[in-house]
Amino acid sequence: MSSTACRLYRNTTLGNRLQEILLQFDKAINSALAQRVRNRVNFRGSLNMYRFPDNVWTFVLNNVEFREVTELTKVDKVKTVACNSKNTGSITTE
Amino acid sequence: MDQNNSLPPYAQGLASPQGAMTPGIPIFSPMMPYGTGLTPQPIQNTSSLSILEEQQRQQQQQQQQQQQQQQQQQQQQQQQQQQAAQQSTSQQAAQVASGQAPQIFHSQTLTTAPLPGTTPLYPSPVTPMTPITPATPASESSGIVPQLQNIVSTVNLGCKLDLKTIALRARNAEYNPKRFAAVIMRIREPRTTALIFSSGKMVCTGAKSEEQSRLAARKYARVVQKLGFPAKFLDFKIQNMVGSCDVKFPIRLEGLVLTHQQFSSYEPELFPGLIYRMIKPRIVLLIFVSGKVVLTGAKVRAEIYEAFENIYPILKGFRKTT
Repeated sequence: MSSTACRLYRNTTLGNRLQEILLQFDKAINSALAQRVRNRVNFRGSLNMYRFPDNVWTFVLNNVEFREVTELTKVDKVKTVACNSKNTGSITTE
Repeated sequence: MDQNNSLPPYAQGLASPQGAMTPGIPIFSPMMPYGTGLTPQPIQNTSSLSILEEQQRQQQQQQQQQQQQQQQQQQQQQQQQQQAAQQSTSQQAAQVASGQAPQIFHSQTLTTAPLPGTTPLYPSPVTPMTPITPATPASESSGIVPQLQNIVSTVNLGCKLDLKTIALRARNAEYNPKRFAAVIMRIREPRTTALIFSSGKMVCTGAKSEEQSRLAARKYARVVQKLGFPAKFLDFKIQNMVGSCDVKFPIRLEGLVLTHQQFSSYEPELFPGLIYRMIKPRIVLLIFVSGKVVLTGAKVRAEIYEAFENIYPILKGFRKTT
């Protein structure tokens, strides 16, 4: 879908309310990640693939060990997408 | 050849390390007759001398034994003044008949002192003044083969490339246009890195042999092709080869830089290795005290081997004995 088409149906009652909520969601997540998340997790695995266009890193790791002070988790495959941010990188992991 | 027996006494001390410290030792003069090739030569007597030159040599040896001290002084001056060398060349031209390969450990090498780039005035040499290859019976081969460590090659894929698409879709690719205007791609087998530019040109580094470099470049070209670009494989050329080896004995770099001033530069405070720029073949060698040697700048494998065979006898002469 092109962005112009998106704009049209977003400018409806339902669309407007949903956009407001999405904005609130953005703000909440950003502040939560910045303020409320304090732990540090180390992870280590073998690199299967990496990619870096447009300042966005994509990694695919195999046999990964997620290590936190308290516990250890082992996973076969991890895909990591990361981009730059002011204090910490924002990471989504599947 | 009876030249070995008639080596002047000062030359007989060449094998000993103390010989190196004696001033005016002919072998350590940078004004050795390098012929046209400017290749440092080991102790050897070539069998390619003509009878005429042999006779002249025997006559010259008798003359030279009388003039040794004068020549030694001349050599020291020649080391500093290039123009003086040309004058002495003309003086000594009559004495010299060594139209063949220059010989470091021979007394006659005192006389000829052609500058790099100038042709000495030789009286009708019968043999061509080609730089003798070290593969002569008198010299022993080192028995050490330098190992190739890195090969850099370039190839033209023959079409314009959209680097953003490549970075987005290809695996193991980096593209940071603010830092560097090329996609950096890596493959595991052969373990190499390629820089791919939007013009379609590509640089492939990290391979350990020429075949591997070519194979890796083809693999990168295939990746680009699979992404939808009409990639070809034009003008594959190896640009640089790096080799390394170990002579297995420590080396006196200070002595080497004193006697091979023209070719060496040694700044221990700057870099612990001596940088030796061999003229033929045109190779740069990094020589370290431990005896490890790095050779770089070659376009073909044979140049690395040839350069090492050239430098090995010199390094043997500067072996550390303590």
